[in-house]
Amino acid sequence: MSDFLLTQIINYGAPILGAIVFIGAMGAPFPGTLIVIAVGAFCRQGFLPWYTTGLVALACVVAGDSLSYAMGYYARERILRRFGSSERWARAGSSFDRWGGMSVLLTRFLITGLAVPVNLIAGTSAFPFRKFFLYDLFGETIWVFGYGGLGYLFGTQWEAIGSLLNSVSGLTLGLVILGIGIWLGLRRLRSIGNRKEQIPGI
Amino acid sequence: MNASSNPKQRALVAGLILIGLLIVGIFGWRTARAFREFRGQRPPPPLAAEPMETDVTMIRDWMTIPFISKMYHVPARILFKALDIPEHKNKEKSLKQLNEEYYPEVEGFVLEKVKATILANQPPQMPTVPNTTAGP
Repeated sequence: MSDFLLTQIINYGAPILGAIVFIGAMGAPFPGTLIVIAVGAFCRQGFLPWYTTGLVALACVVAGDSLSYAMGYYARERILRRFGSSERWARAGSSFDRWGGMSVLLTRFLITGLAVPVNLIAGTSAFPFRKFFLYDLFGETIWVFGYGGLGYLFGTQWEAIGSLLNSVSGLTLGLVILGIGIWLGLRRLRSIGNRKEQIPGI
Repeated sequence: MNASSNPKQRALVAGLILIGLLIVGIFGWRTARAFREFRGQRPPPPLAAEPMETDVTMIRDWMTIPFISKMYHVPARILFKALDIPEHKNKEKSLKQLNEEYYPEVEGFVLEKVKATILANQPPQMPTVPNTTAGP
């Protein structure tokens, strides 16, 4: 898949890159980070102008993220009908209000595998769009120009840095899932302990 | 809610820990391997123009002839001629596509032929001369 996409980018330049990151931002399983790093290297080699390519990629990925936020937002009614009255839903909504900005930011460039679910959750929980947009823009700027900049810096050796960053992103995702599991497990154990303390004679 | 007797919650915690461990294991191994490969790499000087590429092992089968031609400073027509492939309508095809279309019986033929042609036709690198004209 990435080979085919890279061939199209060297043939058609920024417009095809824009289309790839736009569709990727809505959930298509494209190797976006690897492609951005490769494009940085192509800019260094003089195949693409870095400023217009970077701006096109940034505009398209932010548009894709906004659209997936909108999908979550408009699916909200149906989800609220199903879960809206539950206490858990209210708790999840309030905790996304508190941590949503940071979640949006970190999933743009560090844990990119969770970007689409976070967009959908942000829309579904009616996280303010303006706030979402600002965090998204900041995070995607780091993704496009930071990772593209690494590709630019390493030039023809971009494959090595791309492979390392992709693996680090997957490792971070695993650590986050493991961390959530351990945190929930500890909370569960603590609540069991508290219940035992409250029961006299135990 | 009775936390101690909720099997769904217990399954969720166990599932998250197991999936997390699995992903950490797979990507931890991949990160270590990628790091070992990456350790020897040094970026070229950041402000210098990309020098002419001479290492033909960097050629991949997703690349097109015009892309390789620009990267290695060897005219595209020489590469097409060496492959015995018409230039017209083939400029946007990758080496893999060209191989499948023109030499389906020999896997990797186009890639190897392009590498050999570049090695035979690349212009010699000019030695870097220190700038002695600066200053009054």
